Amino acid sequence: MHQTLMDLWYGFGVALQPGNLMWSVFGVLIGNLIGVLPGMGALTTISMLLPLTYVIAPVPAILMLAGIFYGSQYGGAIGAILLNLPSHPPHAVTCLDGYPMTKAGRGGAALGITMMASFFAASVGIIVMIFLSPLLVEIAFKFGPTEICSIMLLGLLAGATMSRGSPLKGVAMTIFGLLCGVVGTDVISGTMRYTFDFPDLADGVELGALCMGLFGIADFLVSVNRTTVKPSDAKVSMKDMRPTRAEMKQAFWPMVRGTMVGTLFGAMPGTGPTITTFIAYALERKIAKDPTRFGKGAIEGVAAPEASAHSKTQVDFIPTLSLGIPGDAVMALILGALIIKGIQPGPQLITEHPDIFWGLVASFWIGNVLLVIMNVPMIGVWVRMLQVPYKYLYPAALFFICVGVYSTKNSLFDVGEVAVFGIIGAIFLMLDFPVSPIVLGFVLGPMLEENFRRAMLLSRGDLMVFLQRPISAWFIGACSLLILAQLVAYVRKLRLPAVREPAELVAE
Amino acid sequence: MRRPKNLGKDHLGALMLLALGAAVFALGLGYRMGTLNRMGAGFIPVVLGVLMMLVGVALGVTAAPPGQEKIAHPLPGDGTHKGPEWRGWLCIIGGVVAFVVLGEHGGLLPATFASVFISAMGDRNNTVKGAAVLGAILTLFCLIVFHYGLTLQLPLFQWH
Repeated sequence: MHQTLMDLWYGFGVALQPGNLMWSVFGVLIGNLIGVLPGMGALTTISMLLPLTYVIAPVPAILMLAGIFYGSQYGGAIGAILLNLPSHPPHAVTCLDGYPMTKAGRGGAALGITMMASFFAASVGIIVMIFLSPLLVEIAFKFGPTEICSIMLLGLLAGATMSRGSPLKGVAMTIFGLLCGVVGTDVISGTMRYTFDFPDLADGVELGALCMGLFGIADFLVSVNRTTVKPSDAKVSMKDMRPTRAEMKQAFWPMVRGTMVGTLFGAMPGTGPTITTFIAYALERKIAKDPTRFGKGAIEGVAAPEASAHSKTQVDFIPTLSLGIPGDAVMALILGALIIKGIQPGPQLITEHPDIFWGLVASFWIGNVLLVIMNVPMIGVWVRMLQVPYKYLYPAALFFICVGVYSTKNSLFDVGEVAVFGIIGAIFLMLDFPVSPIVLGFVLGPMLEENFRRAMLLSRGDLMVFLQRPISAWFIGACSLLILAQLVAYVRKLRLPAVREPAELVAE
Repeated sequence: MRRPKNLGKDHLGALMLLALGAAVFALGLGYRMGTLNRMGAGFIPVVLGVLMMLVGVALGVTAAPPGQEKIAHPLPGDGTHKGPEWRGWLCIIGGVVAFVVLGEHGGLLPATFASVFISAMGDRNNTVKGAAVLGAILTLFCLIVFHYGLTLQLPLFQWH
């Protein structure tokens, strides 16, 4: 306990160093700014700014990425509430009650509540992270290649099957991501795999290019001439942002419950943020005294999902940093950035790079305070930003993507990769395949292959080793449960076509 | 998207997975397989290719009939706009390709202007003049921020 507080104190020292603080503030600001723009979620924002991390030191780089992450997440809520425009899928639920509040002239209050809920939820998430991570690390030190393999398998499987939509399609996309990770020189034998005689592919596919293609260009391809930005008549000024006493009272418990939902789901690897917000909303509606109020501007319907999204965001960092298993695509990106910087995430991270871990923890708090301070006076600017027409927005974003990817390795070939992944991503999107599991597979792929081959070498090719070692057997058991649950759900759906998914219930 | 009448989105997806898996499998056989004890470079890709094909089969078997698929991730827009959007697609991909080609055989500034101008023309609400102005503004921005500010390696103009 005492040691933890000392570590935290040290973390604040790291995070408050002028250089680190500057990048953290920059990240929050840019994240919020881009997150407000229609169609720009956390993934797009982080992948656009990923190249910047190559030129700065590891600690400020990671602080900046984290800042972008929660900044853009908060920014996304603004569009959802004021324009009914979920620029990022998790905010789709916030639209349901946030936009009616705007129409009723309480948009400012909805934003104010969102801000309070986010701050509260993030704080709880940070505290959980501080106390849970060291515990996890103790267990993780017992991990060999076998255990790492099985837990990665669990993470990938959970990421593929527990998001919305068809689990089979999620699995297919994870495999596609793993395959993208295979491209390049095989580290063990030196064989060039799937490089199609392009020397530029010898080092593998560029992470930034893959993400920008899948989340940037692919998104433009399916949105162009289809998205119309409605002009918003919402006028929000600073004093509108203060919710009334009654509203605060109404929103308090939903906020606490949302935080709990988010914390619980954040600790589970692979559960996406969208499903978390949907569950938080469904829970509120279920226990409400008068469920008919939902969808017509109930403040609980804003507070709970936003709180759950933010606590999940924080708690998600636990498995990412302490085990090296990212919970979702955004975490996979941050993990990828760490690896590029030569830092191996995993149990040794906290002891070997305490500046990164504790600096990050402290910067979360600083960043969340900054978000609150910044958003009150800036709200007028955000509202105006929301009005940027899509016809100017996407060409500019496309240019930033090209320059950003080029600058990573000064390679125009990588910019070409963006176009290829853009087309691939658009085809997947049109066939209703989720694209974010691809990133998870891509980042974990090389690690999974290396550990699998090492584990097999150690066990002399005996696959039973995954069941003989107790920790590994637990993970494999959890994997089997996941698959079993999906099969049961499928059979039940065949028998009872009336069973509806929670998402549909919410959408009514 | 226009598609054959008796093939749903899920069927198309399944076919795509089968083709992809088969291609990966076939290419993977060209690398050394090795044994489970000492795996060669081809082992994992071949396994992944087979898995991909299996998922494709499973998806094809469980696919909903055409037109009745549940769309879990709806595309942007209100759904009134149907059919291929060739102009938008060509211009956006063209914009990226223009950046690559002109970056190599023209330099940073022509590449910037061309990529913005071409991609902007993909939106039916943009006029030639509007796209050109947007291109010019971003070219100026690129000159100041990326060339002078961040000293991007790509020369402003170059001919090969």
